[in-house]
Amino acid sequence: MDNLPMQGLRIIDFSHSWAAPHCARILADFGAEVIKVEYVRRLCLLRGAKKEKTIYNSHPGWLQVNRNKCSITLDLKNERDKDIFRDIVKISDVLIENSRTGVMDKLGLGFQDLTKINNNLIMLSMTAFGNTGPYSSYAGYGAVMEAIGGIQSLTAYERGGKPARIRELDITNGLAGACAVMTALLYRQRTGEGQYIDMSQLEAGTHGLIGEHLLEYVMNDSQTLPLGNRHWKFAPQGCYRCKGEDKWITLTVRSEAEWSKFCEVLGHPEWISDPLFATRVARMENHDLLDRMIEEWTILHIHHDVMQILQSCGIPSGEVIDVDEIRNSVHLRERAYFTAEKSGSGLLFMGMPFKFTRAEGKVHWRGPELGQHNEYVLCQLLGRSQDEVTPVKDDDIGTAFDPE
Amino acid sequence: MTNKALSALRIIDLTQYIAGPYCTKLMAGFGAEVIKIEQPETGDGMRRLGPFYKNHEGLETSIPFLWLNTGKKSITLNIKTVKGTEILKQLIKNADVLIENFSPGVMHSLGLSYETLRDFNPRLIMTSISNFGQTGPYRDYKAEEIELQSLSGGMYMTGDPEKEPLSSGPALCQYTAGKHAYIATLMALLQRGKSGNGQFIDISIQESGLEHIEITLSYNLQKGKNAKRGEHLFVPWDTYECQDGYATIIAMPSRHWHRAAEIFGDARLFDKKYLHVLDRMKHRSEYEALLRPCVKAHKKKDLFHAGQTRKLAFGCVTGLDEVIESPQHKAREFFVEIDHPSVGKHKYCDAPFKMSRTPWQSDRAPLIGEHNQEIYTEIPGYSLQEIQQLSEQGVL
Repeated sequence: MDNLPMQGLRIIDFSHSWAAPHCARILADFGAEVIKVEYVRRLCLLRGAKKEKTIYNSHPGWLQVNRNKCSITLDLKNERDKDIFRDIVKISDVLIENSRTGVMDKLGLGFQDLTKINNNLIMLSMTAFGNTGPYSSYAGYGAVMEAIGGIQSLTAYERGGKPARIRELDITNGLAGACAVMTALLYRQRTGEGQYIDMSQLEAGTHGLIGEHLLEYVMNDSQTLPLGNRHWKFAPQGCYRCKGEDKWITLTVRSEAEWSKFCEVLGHPEWISDPLFATRVARMENHDLLDRMIEEWTILHIHHDVMQILQSCGIPSGEVIDVDEIRNSVHLRERAYFTAEKSGSGLLFMGMPFKFTRAEGKVHWRGPELGQHNEYVLCQLLGRSQDEVTPVKDDDIGTAFDPE
Repeated sequence: MTNKALSALRIIDLTQYIAGPYCTKLMAGFGAEVIKIEQPETGDGMRRLGPFYKNHEGLETSIPFLWLNTGKKSITLNIKTVKGTEILKQLIKNADVLIENFSPGVMHSLGLSYETLRDFNPRLIMTSISNFGQTGPYRDYKAEEIELQSLSGGMYMTGDPEKEPLSSGPALCQYTAGKHAYIATLMALLQRGKSGNGQFIDISIQESGLEHIEITLSYNLQKGKNAKRGEHLFVPWDTYECQDGYATIIAMPSRHWHRAAEIFGDARLFDKKYLHVLDRMKHRSEYEALLRPCVKAHKKKDLFHAGQTRKLAFGCVTGLDEVIESPQHKAREFFVEIDHPSVGKHKYCDAPFKMSRTPWQSDRAPLIGEHNQEIYTEIPGYSLQEIQQLSEQGVL
């Protein structure tokens, strides 16, 4: 087997929370050496709100989002640590950070400073609102950009209903970050030149999810969404209750041919030509009634069976699966999707979001313990002496949730 | 041309609808030559789906098509004819990347499997996007966005616990798969730059979509915990009703939460017994009951700015009308006007992110077959007369 595509690249992950660390995770999964720079006095929020018994080293969210990464602890307000940071930059290809706009510059670690010590560095800033503009100093988590960006307004049970959050803007934006890094790396491979990327998570999320809906609004002065679980053109489409507690099925009928098959499978061939449902437009108009009639059938069956019955006649249908059902999915198992940590711990992880033929992404190790790679980075990568490695002191540790 | 990140790359784009086209839209915006291959007369299914500009149904007026295909070239080719397949092979021979999202098995049945194509272009990277991947028992299952969401776990986690699961309005799973396709293809190109070898990439939209719930799913895989839709773990971290809509109230960064006392006025919210997020989680319902009327008393934009000027990550739910007028978007020129022969000039979102050396470029979507002459006179090198003939025969 060949190497993984990112092998040989070193990436600094100076970021916290979810979106930017997710970006770095994808790059680590496919072979990059990712060094996560952590601040002991304020741990990443995925390390949780408690510090007793080093519980911050074992939250599954942390283990997943930071898998395959190294951890080094630095305090960038301290000159010695700042030097170490610069030394790591010198031997790295990419720096990913998500501090508030201006913080890196204030530390003397802005792109202009760093490019002097590594002239083909790629630096990606993933701020909430971008480096310029009236909101540039504002902070955000996924929930903020989703709301301000107009994304949230498009999901609700009905027009005018309470807008619901979707899952998950941090992934949308983390992936946009990875798109940016890969774009810059390909350009650098051709020209040798690095560059700076100013990513506004507000813009990346908007571009990556609702560009078509904004264009519709601009062009038609109207909008199709939100529509609950319905489709704006196909009917019926919905989410229907099945046998069991909180079990549901989704289905979509996209054509008259599918409608006929659907009616036959449900044992109601008389619906096919019933004027209430005979055309797509009629079905749209009588959707509420139709939903009740469909649910009279689905409620009698297990969601998985409904899916198989409908799929066997080519009608799109999906059981609404929870995480237990995902873990037990026969399809995912047959695709060898899940993967155990390579260290032999037996700890189970999600697999890779895509498969290459030349080499397979692996979970070599879980999200690192705090400062687990201090010695590796300082001594092996930077050639500093063992004396410079200082153990993490329990008293110094603070969480992202400390009230002050 | 050298200041485009992806110039010199030629992409053969056999994709339709959302996932593939979003991937190749990104490639085109960063400078790759994207040749979109469309079925003669009908084209990309998205051209026929709409919604349409001013509700004028037609191949050149589909709004999502106009958004998803900016900067590409369009040629028509009936790949289900022998001649069509032959022409496609010549195009692929001269390309760096082939991206397709047919149902699994279709490329093979056309004699266009990766194993065949690699023989005459070993540098080729072939990216296949499908609903459930190229293998496995669900391989041939049909799905629209709502089914993709229901089978990748995000939908079960969305909406109210006492109602049915709610699917996302935006086509979340397809857009996420589009980004994965972009990342994967560029990774393979990066590797090819060193090794000279291409490869095949299998993208299952379902597996790609599982990433949306990576944290929840990891708790299940490692601790056996199941999860339901409903509230956020932390308190407060939610959307609350206010005077004129909805505001997002997040008690983060935690060390600044005490400053919200100036906004909400109710000192009880900042009582010692609610000081830590763990305390607030313990008293979730009573805390939310205190908070709700405090939020309700304000206007959404006032809360957004009042929070943010105190370093708190507050927000508010904004409608599309307000987004278009956003001062932040205006200041950063996030919208750009693009002209198109069938629908005229309109504002589109511009770059997904701003690159200092290799900026994004926005160009309009192509008309169906607009680039037939430009491409086919080069590859395979047909005369105008031959192009005309093949067009009449239904090949182009």
